[in-house]
Amino acid sequence: MVNETELKSLIANILKDMVGDEKEEKQKIEVQGAEQLVCLDCEEACLEDITEFDIKKQLLVPEPEDKEGYLKMKEKTPARIGVWRAGPRYKTVTSLRFRADHAAAQDAVFSHVSEEFVEKNGLIPFQTLCQSKDEYLTRPDLGRQFSDEMVQKMKDVCGKPTVQLVVGDGLSSAAIEANMEDILPAIKQGLKMYGIDINNIMFVKYCRVPAMDVIGEATDADVVCLLVGERPGLVTAESMSAYIAYKPTVDMPEARRTVVSNIHKGGTSPVEAGAHIAEVIKKMIDKKASGIDLKN
Amino acid sequence: MNEQILSVGIDIGTSTTQLVFSNITIENMASSFTVPRIVIVDKKVIYKSRIIFTPLLSDNKIDMEKIEEFVNQEYENAGIQKKDIQTGAVIITGETARRENANDVLQTLSGFAGDFVVATAGPDLESIIAAKGAGMHVFSEEHSTSVINIDIGGGTSNLAYLNKGEVIDTGCLDIGGRLIKIDPGSKKVTYISPKIKELIKERNLKVEEGKTTSCEQLQPIINEMVQIIEQSVGMETTSSFYHQAITHKGLQPQAKAKYLSFTGGVADSIYNESDEDPFKFGDIGILLGKAIRQSMLMSAFNIITPAETIRATVVGAGTHTTEISGSTITYTDGLFPLKNLPVLKIAKEEETLDARLLSETIQKKLDWFKVDGNIENVAVAFCGKLNPSFREIQWYAEGLLDGMESLLTKRFPMVIITEQDIAKVLGQTIYAKIGYPIDLICIDGIHVENGDYIDIGYPVADGSVLPVVIKTLVFH
Repeated sequence: MVNETELKSLIANILKDMVGDEKEEKQKIEVQGAEQLVCLDCEEACLEDITEFDIKKQLLVPEPEDKEGYLKMKEKTPARIGVWRAGPRYKTVTSLRFRADHAAAQDAVFSHVSEEFVEKNGLIPFQTLCQSKDEYLTRPDLGRQFSDEMVQKMKDVCGKPTVQLVVGDGLSSAAIEANMEDILPAIKQGLKMYGIDINNIMFVKYCRVPAMDVIGEATDADVVCLLVGERPGLVTAESMSAYIAYKPTVDMPEARRTVVSNIHKGGTSPVEAGAHIAEVIKKMIDKKASGIDLKN
Repeated sequence: MNEQILSVGIDIGTSTTQLVFSNITIENMASSFTVPRIVIVDKKVIYKSRIIFTPLLSDNKIDMEKIEEFVNQEYENAGIQKKDIQTGAVIITGETARRENANDVLQTLSGFAGDFVVATAGPDLESIIAAKGAGMHVFSEEHSTSVINIDIGGGTSNLAYLNKGEVIDTGCLDIGGRLIKIDPGSKKVTYISPKIKELIKERNLKVEEGKTTSCEQLQPIINEMVQIIEQSVGMETTSSFYHQAITHKGLQPQAKAKYLSFTGGVADSIYNESDEDPFKFGDIGILLGKAIRQSMLMSAFNIITPAETIRATVVGAGTHTTEISGSTITYTDGLFPLKNLPVLKIAKEEETLDARLLSETIQKKLDWFKVDGNIENVAVAFCGKLNPSFREIQWYAEGLLDGMESLLTKRFPMVIITEQDIAKVLGQTIYAKIGYPIDLICIDGIHVENGDYIDIGYPVADGSVLPVVIKTLVFH
C-alpha cells in the first residue's frame, strides 16, 4: 500500500518530469535543432508545419542500423513506427503531430460542408431528421430518416432515374470537400460511356449510410450510389467511401451494399475510384444485384 | 479467391536445352470493401524436364526438329496440354543466340509451345532471368544486401548485380565451359571458340584443334578465364583481354557486392568437389569450375549456394518473366494476345500536363520507330502523376490522342502503359473524347523503358488484370 505522503511525492515527481524539468528543456532544444527552420531570412522566423511532413518518410531513429531498410518498411505503412523516444515517452514532434492529426479528425467530424460548396458543385440540398451535429452524432436513427416533405421533394426533383448519385457529409465533411470535384466528373464520364446520364445529384446533410435506402424507395432508381465521408482517423481525415446498392429498400440486409472505401489521396485516388465505381454500377444494372449477390 | 496461371519456360543454351512448368498464383489482396488489388502471391515449379545437349545441325544451325520433338515429349511426360499453357517464355542464350537461324527457331517455338508463350533473347535479359531464377532478388531483399550472380554456361557468363531486391546492372562475358571441346575418349581438342583462339595465339600456348591435350596444358587458359571473372566483379583492374571477352558490356565498376552466387552448368563444379574425369562432358566446364573454387573469388566475397544452379535460367524464364498489370484498367475485348510491341517511353522530365507539348513529344519520338516512312504499332508509356485531378487526366488524354494520331489513323489498337494507378480513368477519358469505338488497351502498374518490347496476354482473374511480359529481342 502506498501512503498519502508517498503518493504526493510520486505525483510531484511525475509533474516535474512533465513540465519544466531540465532534461525536458534539453530535449526540446534538440528536437528544434533537428527540425529545419524555414525562412531564416524572414523577419519573423517560423517553424515548419509539422503536419506537412509525410509520416511514411520521417524516420526519427538517430542512428539506424539499416536506414534504407527502415525507410522501405515505413513506406508500406502510415503507422507511427521509427519515431524514437525521449526517455520513456514520445518525442515532442511525435506528440504534437499526434495531437494535430487528432484535431484534424475532430474538425472533420464537427465541421459542415459549406453551402457554397454544395451550390458550386450543382448539388441539390436535402437534410435528414437531425437538426444539429450533436443530434446527428448521438441519434444514428435520425440520420437515416427524412421528413415527409423531404421525401416529396426527392420525388419531385429527381423523378425516376436509372442511377441516383447522392453525396452525404457522414462523419467527415473534409472528405467531401477534398474529393468531390475529382470523383463526380469521373463517375459521370464513366457512366456516360455506358449510355447512362447522371442528373440531379443530391447532397444530404447529417447523412448516415441507410439514408440511401429511403432515397432508393422514394426515387425508384435502379441503383443508388452514396458518396459519404468516412469516420476520420489519425492517418487521414479525408477518406471517403462509396456505398452502392441495386434498388435499396429500408431495412434491407447490409450485405446488399457494395462498398468502395479508402478513397483519398493516400489510398485510391478519387479519379481512378470514380472510373471503377462507374463500372461497378454498370455491372449492377446488368446483373440486377449488388453486395454479396453481385459476387456470386 | 485465388487463381493459378500455368507457365512454361524453355531455355535453349549453348550446351543444354531444358524446360520447366510452373504455377503462378494470383490473388486479390484487397478487402472486399476496397478497389481490387490483384497480385502474384506465389510461384512454384511443378515439373522439370530432362536436360539435353542442344541439338545442332552440321552447318552450325539449331536443329529445330529435334527441339520440337523434345518439347513434345516433355509436354507428354508432364501430362500437360498446350492449350492449358497461359503464359511463359522461350529464351535462347549464350552462343546459340548467335546462330543463323536463332530468330526463326525462337519465333516458331514460341508459337509451338503455347498461345501466349513469348520469345526472348539478349544477354541483359538472360542475366536478369538467371539471377531471379536463382532467387537472388529475394535473397538481396530479405537480407537487405547486394549480390552479384554469375551464370556460367557453355558459351557465356551472365552477370547481374542486385541490390535490395532490384536489378541494378547486368553484364555478359564470352567465358564458358564449352569454348573448348575435347573428346572424352581420345582427349583430342575438337573445337576452340574464336576469342579463345586469339588468346592462345597471344599467349603462345600449345592448345590446338585436332591435337590431344591435357589438364596441365589447358590450365593457363583456365586461369586466364578465372582472372577475367575476377576482373568482372571488380577484384582486379581490367586487362586488355577482359575487354575482348566482353560480349556487349560488363558490369559498372561501382557494382560492389557483398555476396556472390553462381548458376549455370559450371556452377555445379564450383560448389561440389569431385574426382570424376574432368573431360566427362567433353569440355572444360569441370576444370573451370574447379579453378573458380580454388580462386580468390571464394574468399573475397561471401558465397551463396542458390536453390537452382544449372536450371536457374529456365526456372527464371518460366516464373519470372510474367508480370500482371494493375487491377483497375481499361481494355477492349478480343485484342489478345498482343506480341512484340515496341515501347516509346516518355521520360519523367518530358512528362507534362500541357497537352500540346505532350503531343509534340510523342510525335517527335514516333519518328524513331518509322522504317522507310512506315510505322508499325507502338505502345506509349509514361509514369503519370500521383493523385491527378480530373482536369489533369483530360490533358493527358488530349495529349495522347493528338500525339498518337498517326497510329490511330492506321486503326492500330491504342496501347498506353503507365506506372501510377490512373489507367481506368485515363482509358475511359480517351473513349469519351474520341467519341467512336476504338481498340484501346490502357494499363498501369507496369514499368518499362525505351528499347523494351512488350507482350500482353489474355485477361485473367475474371478479366480484371492482364498478364504482361516485358522483354528485349535484340540479337547481337
